[in-house]
Amino acid sequence: MVASSPSAYPHLSSSALDDLQADLTILLHQTLSHRSLHPKNLGILPTKKSWLLNLDVLVLSDAGNILDALFMASRAALWDTRVPRTRGVEYKARPRKAAEDTTAQGGRGDMDVDEDTQSGFDTRTIHKATDFELPDYWDEGEPLDGRAQWPVSVTLNLEHPIHFLDATAQEEAATPLRLLLAFSFPSSASPVMQAMRMLGPGEPAPSHLKELVKAGEQYAREISTALISKLKEEDIRRYQKAREIFELHR
Amino acid sequence: MGSRVEILNQGGFRSDGRRQFELRDMTIDLSQQGQADGAAVVTHGLTQVMVSVFGPREAKMRSQTIHDRANINVEVNIAAFSTGERRKRTRGDKRILELAATIKSTFEPVVQTNLYPRSQIDVYVQVLQQDGGLLQACVNATTLALVNAGIPLLDFVCAVTGGVHSTSPLLDLTLLEENDLPNVTVAMMPKTGKVTLVTMETRLHVDRFEEIFRLAGDASKVIHGEMKTAVRSRTSALVAAMGSGPRVGGGDSADKHGDDRMNEY
Repeated sequence: MVASSPSAYPHLSSSALDDLQADLTILLHQTLSHRSLHPKNLGILPTKKSWLLNLDVLVLSDAGNILDALFMASRAALWDTRVPRTRGVEYKARPRKAAEDTTAQGGRGDMDVDEDTQSGFDTRTIHKATDFELPDYWDEGEPLDGRAQWPVSVTLNLEHPIHFLDATAQEEAATPLRLLLAFSFPSSASPVMQAMRMLGPGEPAPSHLKELVKAGEQYAREISTALISKLKEEDIRRYQKAREIFELHR
Repeated sequence: MGSRVEILNQGGFRSDGRRQFELRDMTIDLSQQGQADGAAVVTHGLTQVMVSVFGPREAKMRSQTIHDRANINVEVNIAAFSTGERRKRTRGDKRILELAATIKSTFEPVVQTNLYPRSQIDVYVQVLQQDGGLLQACVNATTLALVNAGIPLLDFVCAVTGGVHSTSPLLDLTLLEENDLPNVTVAMMPKTGKVTLVTMETRLHVDRFEEIFRLAGDASKVIHGEMKTAVRSRTSALVAAMGSGPRVGGGDSADKHGDDRMNEY
């Protein structure tokens, strides 16, 4: 869901702003919510409960190339997302014999608690789990699955016969024809093109389009590698260094 | 999470570790945002608000212009992720419109609108994070953004919230405290002591009101100090970047450090 502060587009009226927000939301949503990108650890209880992931993007100012920035920001935010670990829980009526209260699983009378599992998805041992609990309130959880394969977008501004990237606002106004390509680079498979959209008036030839797609993949790969290394750096800075400092002061 | 959180415990500490009259950590960021003429990001503890000001400029809708003054247009946008539970608010939400109207009426007597007839000053408030004291943060950020945009004001407007817990007054309330206690938001102009905004939506006993009102006035002087410091450091940084600016009048040798000295307002 993309929202935009009116300060980002001071020349637009509020209804035009709403339209723009809707456009950007659709673009982002249709690409990112595709089933092939669906993370696997969002389920809590099979066929019954799962986590809902909400992605909100707020545009504070736009000086050109907003789509690439949107995808990059979404990717970074999704990299950062954590899913809380859950435990399947089943409510059973209190058994008649008091001796059977403490079950082999360490149940506390009423609740039949699952063994401590690493992944919230693993509730195979309790088939009738109807609810879940968070075993550790302060635990942030495990990282969202598939975080290295969210797509990265490249907007090629087409000015026949050349194209250029990362347009400023003035360049965008001068070059109305744009080709948006979103690529996903899963580690084990070959790159997948997740989205292709042409914006603006113009009729590039199909052969020209083919070369643009190839070139786009190259750019996207570079952007993706650079982004991942930056995100990994930030991970290290946050968790490992913090841990080291903590160890030092213990 | 256990038993009810105490608003003010026996040791005199509040739920977030502050004392009764202690204000939250305040940060002010006056860096340029996009194409805005002036912008300010103000945080009070965990409440963060960004205000961008455009103007005075030609009005978008001619019908809204006033022949002898500038028209102040305030738009408030609350991010869906700003509160603990994500809530998408529509643009026409009554609470938001009320907030915008309150901000507008706070600044109408303060901005020198008679200098810019038939023009419009746009104030866009973007709420990024909410933890109590929303109106307070919005007013403070708007003041700073207007100052940053170079729009002439009669004085700073400094706002602070206050509440009463049984008989003890508290200042600068967090969301937890705001939900539990009667609270009032007061905005004051520090030089003259004139109050340009007092709002309260809860019920407060009249005997308690005077005390909390006076305290809030004192607290806004403290906030005024912070704002002045921020504006000063920002301006001196800009002046230094511009290369010491033009010398006014015959500078004597003592004036070599003239660009470091700021005029006392």
